[in-house]
Amino acid sequence: MKYVVLMASLPPLGSLFEAATPPISRLKLEHRLGLLESPDRHTLEQIANLIAWSSQPLERSDAAFIQEAHGFLTSNRNPTLRSLVTQRLDMRTIVAALRRRRHGEAQPPSGEIWGFGEWVGMIERNWSAPAFQMEAIFPWLRQAHDLLEKDDLIGFEKLQFSVVWAMLNRLAAGHEFDFEALIIYLARWSLVSRWSCYKGEAAVARFRELVDAGLGNHKELFSGASQ
Amino acid sequence: MNNDTSILVLGWIGIYAPVALAAIGASIGCTTAGQAAIGAMMEVSSGYGRFVGLSALPSSMSIYGIVVMFILNRPVTPANSGGLFGIGLLSGLAFLMAAIYQGLCCASAISGSKAKPEIFGLSLAPAAIVEGFAVFAFVFALVAAGGIPK
Repeated sequence: MKYVVLMASLPPLGSLFEAATPPISRLKLEHRLGLLESPDRHTLEQIANLIAWSSQPLERSDAAFIQEAHGFLTSNRNPTLRSLVTQRLDMRTIVAALRRRRHGEAQPPSGEIWGFGEWVGMIERNWSAPAFQMEAIFPWLRQAHDLLEKDDLIGFEKLQFSVVWAMLNRLAAGHEFDFEALIIYLARWSLVSRWSCYKGEAAVARFRELVDAGLGNHKELFSGASQ
Repeated sequence: MNNDTSILVLGWIGIYAPVALAAIGASIGCTTAGQAAIGAMMEVSSGYGRFVGLSALPSSMSIYGIVVMFILNRPVTPANSGGLFGIGLLSGLAFLMAAIYQGLCCASAISGSKAKPEIFGLSLAPAAIVEGFAVFAFVFALVAAGGIPK
């Protein structure tokens, strides 16, 4: 029941790649999340620590991360949240393998824990196959491999966002005013927020504005000097 | 408690069940929709009245429950207590579930129309359809109650 107020107070996010800015600011969102009770906030922090890629502390090892993931999956019995975390970590493992291979690792890592989930063994066994022989399970994997081959890192990032967005849409079915709906909303918001920061053209235009503003009258000074 | 008394108790349960169950459902439904209205009011700067008005829609179920209770209300005998129990309990359960789900429909309508006010009218359709099912249960409870011995 308490999630109804919270969910109804959040604006719709719209489509992933269309919004120039998230419809709700981080500050306002955090303020709204103040309605959550302590156990929910703890679960939210646990999930954020596992799936928010950009906020991973550098000093945390892969082994510590995987131990934390197992801890969450042992303690939390909610099937939607478990599925959300598992699918995101599966994807993270696959992307890590693709990146390692792109950086020239001809063999799978040995003697270290480098991935999470049921697909690690499959990836290690099929390290040299373009999509690790998992095209049937992850149809986007072949396209991801091709994009990396072409060094199209923006396309690769966009593909990942699309796959995660579609996964969140699937998980959202049947959840509108509950805790799962809130977690899915926050995961979507995170994607919109990150993508809106990636807008290349807008960034270049803004950079030029800043440079022009910073230069000010110095532009005339330099143009005068060249005469 | 002998058999006759047990049967009479069932009859009394049947008389009061529609209003009790409908009131429980209406409370839950109005709470759900009301919370959505409060949440929506945090996000928008106008149109508060229609959100609050919509959140009261599930309360109609308790009115149906009261009417069915009055129709069923009569001296309870071993001959009519089975019928009173069946119609009263089942119509009450129908009102209970309809009120809860209508509350969810209203909450969705409020949540959706806060961002797109132009869909407000159309977003009421699911809640109206649920109301229609409750009206079926209500009308046929009245029809069936006509066959119960006085």
